[in-house]
Amino acid sequence: MTIDGHGITRRDLLKGAAAGAAVGLTGLPDAVLAAADPDLVVVTGDPAGATRKAIEALGGMSRFVQKGQRVVLKPNMSFASGPDRASNTHPQVVATVAQACMEAGAERVMVLDNPLQTAEVCFQRSGIPDACKSLKGVYVQMVTDRKFFREIKVPQGKVLDRVEVIKEVLDSPVLISLPQAKSHSTTGISMGIKGLMGLIWDRWSFHSRYNINLALADLATVIRPQLTILDATRALVTGGPGGPGEVSKPNLVIAGIDPVAVDAYGVTVAPWYGQQFKGRQVEHLLTAHQRGLGKIDLDQLRIAKATV
Amino acid sequence: MRTAVQALSLALFTVLFALANYWLPDWLPADIYLRLDPLLGLSAILAGREWIGRALWGVVLIAATLLFGRFFCAYVCPLGAILDFLDPVLFRRIARRGLQSDARLRHLKYVVLIVVAGAAAIGVSLVHLLDPIALLTRTYTFVLYPAFIGLVNLGLDAVRPGAQALGWMTIATRSYPQPMFYQSLVTLLIFAAIVGLSGLASRFWCRYLCPLGALLSLLSPLGRLRRTVGPECPACGLCQEACPMGAAADEGGTRLAECIQCRTCVAACPQELIQFPIARQPIPGGEYSRINLTRRGFLYAAAGGVGVGFLVRQTPAAALQGKQQLIRPPGALPEGEFLRTCIRCGECMKSCVTNTLQPCVAEAGLEGLWTPRMELRFAACEQNCNVCGKVCPTQAIRSLSLEEKTHAKVGTAVLKKESCLVWAQDKLCLICDEICPYNAIVFRTIEGYRRPIVLPSHCNGCGFCEARCPVQGESAIVVAPNGEIRLAEGSYLTEAKRLELDFTPDAGNDRFILEQSGLAAGKAAETPPGFSAAPNAGAPAPRPPAGFR
Repeated sequence: MTIDGHGITRRDLLKGAAAGAAVGLTGLPDAVLAAADPDLVVVTGDPAGATRKAIEALGGMSRFVQKGQRVVLKPNMSFASGPDRASNTHPQVVATVAQACMEAGAERVMVLDNPLQTAEVCFQRSGIPDACKSLKGVYVQMVTDRKFFREIKVPQGKVLDRVEVIKEVLDSPVLISLPQAKSHSTTGISMGIKGLMGLIWDRWSFHSRYNINLALADLATVIRPQLTILDATRALVTGGPGGPGEVSKPNLVIAGIDPVAVDAYGVTVAPWYGQQFKGRQVEHLLTAHQRGLGKIDLDQLRIAKATV
Repeated sequence: MRTAVQALSLALFTVLFALANYWLPDWLPADIYLRLDPLLGLSAILAGREWIGRALWGVVLIAATLLFGRFFCAYVCPLGAILDFLDPVLFRRIARRGLQSDARLRHLKYVVLIVVAGAAAIGVSLVHLLDPIALLTRTYTFVLYPAFIGLVNLGLDAVRPGAQALGWMTIATRSYPQPMFYQSLVTLLIFAAIVGLSGLASRFWCRYLCPLGALLSLLSPLGRLRRTVGPECPACGLCQEACPMGAAADEGGTRLAECIQCRTCVAACPQELIQFPIARQPIPGGEYSRINLTRRGFLYAAAGGVGVGFLVRQTPAAALQGKQQLIRPPGALPEGEFLRTCIRCGECMKSCVTNTLQPCVAEAGLEGLWTPRMELRFAACEQNCNVCGKVCPTQAIRSLSLEEKTHAKVGTAVLKKESCLVWAQDKLCLICDEICPYNAIVFRTIEGYRRPIVLPSHCNGCGFCEARCPVQGESAIVVAPNGEIRLAEGSYLTEAKRLELDFTPDAGNDRFILEQSGLAAGKAAETPPGFSAAPNAGAPAPRPPAGFR
């Protein structure tokens, strides 16, 4: 991941990956209505299949993970419930991405979240540790102890000036965000950007001290996933983020490098609280976009769609 | 041989203790040592005036004692094992002379037993103070278990950098939540005192104080395995010196009530004159099988028990039952019966997956000392866990299925608008709503702002909201005992239905609020929080749902 803009920017990464992507794209199956070098890949299908296809369509995992690199995956596994409740990322999405990372030569894959509910029970009920159990080199950790966090500065922060982030995230070159698409009674929706809050220690201050929408944009300036794969196979359209709520089945997996663009597309895949919204109508996404963290208007994006 | 059996028993006790946790399978009685203790069962039944199925296990120990004598103390009792194992470590260099007042001190344990019985007779439980199994379980819970986890974590921290470097991520990421309890220090001091008293005489506790030992010693002389000394005994006194219980009397006599069949004397006798044959005579006579307690002593002790029980009960706490901020675990019997039945072993608190169960100090009066309560500001009651009832040996907390337990409402969350960040400060907080496993907290639009409210009929008092409320100091949402359901028998599910409570997580709650709150008229124009309405400058935009514009 990139800290305070001194590392690889999204633009650099895109350039650097262009060659690789081109190679990847030539091998794309017909099902993909391939935009050349798509910003977003939107795949309809089952969790594992759609995820696999989405990675493929973006040029394969080797575009994001180099041999011997450490990878952190950040799914939602904050709630003590299974995939039917749509509060957590589908275990098959996580396992598929983890496996792809290992196949790309990752040294190890850490699947991390700082859970809201009782860690032991989330571990059991989310199904994610079980799904990853047979994968060598893949470890699932509920990070609940402060000793696993390290404080960093937020140089571009408007409200947030420092934040404690899971050390493994700071020390790993690759972070892949695997959010579940869900409603959220404060931020409207919770997807990739909002999901970053699961990587910090003091999430409570986002509600009590700061304006959460501004703080989220600040956080997104320092935690920058190389890839976001949004699990919208199910969407929790009311009662989020914890549920229970109404669960719709868009059967989609949306992947892209631009975290704002992925979320902005995610906003459109289901009606939230019974209403259709656009990315621009989501305050924290709009704020992140205005900070230059990503594109928010879908008409400016090259979107490749596929079905499996 | 005896040491091996003792070590095994202590190991079994420890393993069962460790297994008393969230993952405990339904078939495994992790509380079996507590169930086997007939003193705990009898006291709870006598004080609670209710039959307790699990206490039937105590019959096993009573029957075995009738057959073999007071072997439990020497072979099975985990506290006896600890005292025996610590003895050579701590007191090897101390010359213990026999206590001058030996005979008188021996009465003490009967006094303790009678006081416990006297208090139980008027419905006050005192057995928890000195019953060895309850006391040791409590010591394990409040002292040894937190200390052990602390040590394990220290060890893990020490090897973590190495494990990280070597890529042993299973170790590098391992860390256990530190359990913590009120009363750890007090418990440690009591335990230390019991161990320390052995400095005066070996097994001081067992000889002079243990009420379970006292109960078993009443039966012990009936046991058929009895120590006999050959008539050639020269009365050298070596067996008397060796006996850890002071059971070997002068000139080959045996105080049968005190003898725990440990056979230390057999090895000590240079003439090999001591044997433990199967006795033919069913009831032995003679001075050595008598319990030396006078009728007057008995009456004093019984009166003392009744008096202590009376005083323990007579505090304003008894009158304030149900009026205090005291949340009991789900499935706890109605308060009066609960206090009489709970033996304060601490097993429920050990097994609690969130660590919310804590011992009462003064919250329930003297009568409620060390009974479990939920410290919900500290941690919540986990929706998917019902282990506290599973491990309760006297069923003061009833063992309930997950569904039943969900309906055992312990209280109702009360939102304090003056301190709530949303109500008082218009902050974008939702934590109580997002953490609530039952959808009992919902947002509705009130005077243009989204506000959290509690649906009392959906709240079972689990306390996740109170635990996680980010307000500093007292939570802005607090679970009060109001509406708690405490049933001595029968189904919580049925009772909850009767009271029209609904704890099935309901996806429709949000809609329920929008459609039936009287706000339906404005609904079409509302935008959910976090969203903004489609741009329409000029007109005062109706408030969208949080997060939307």
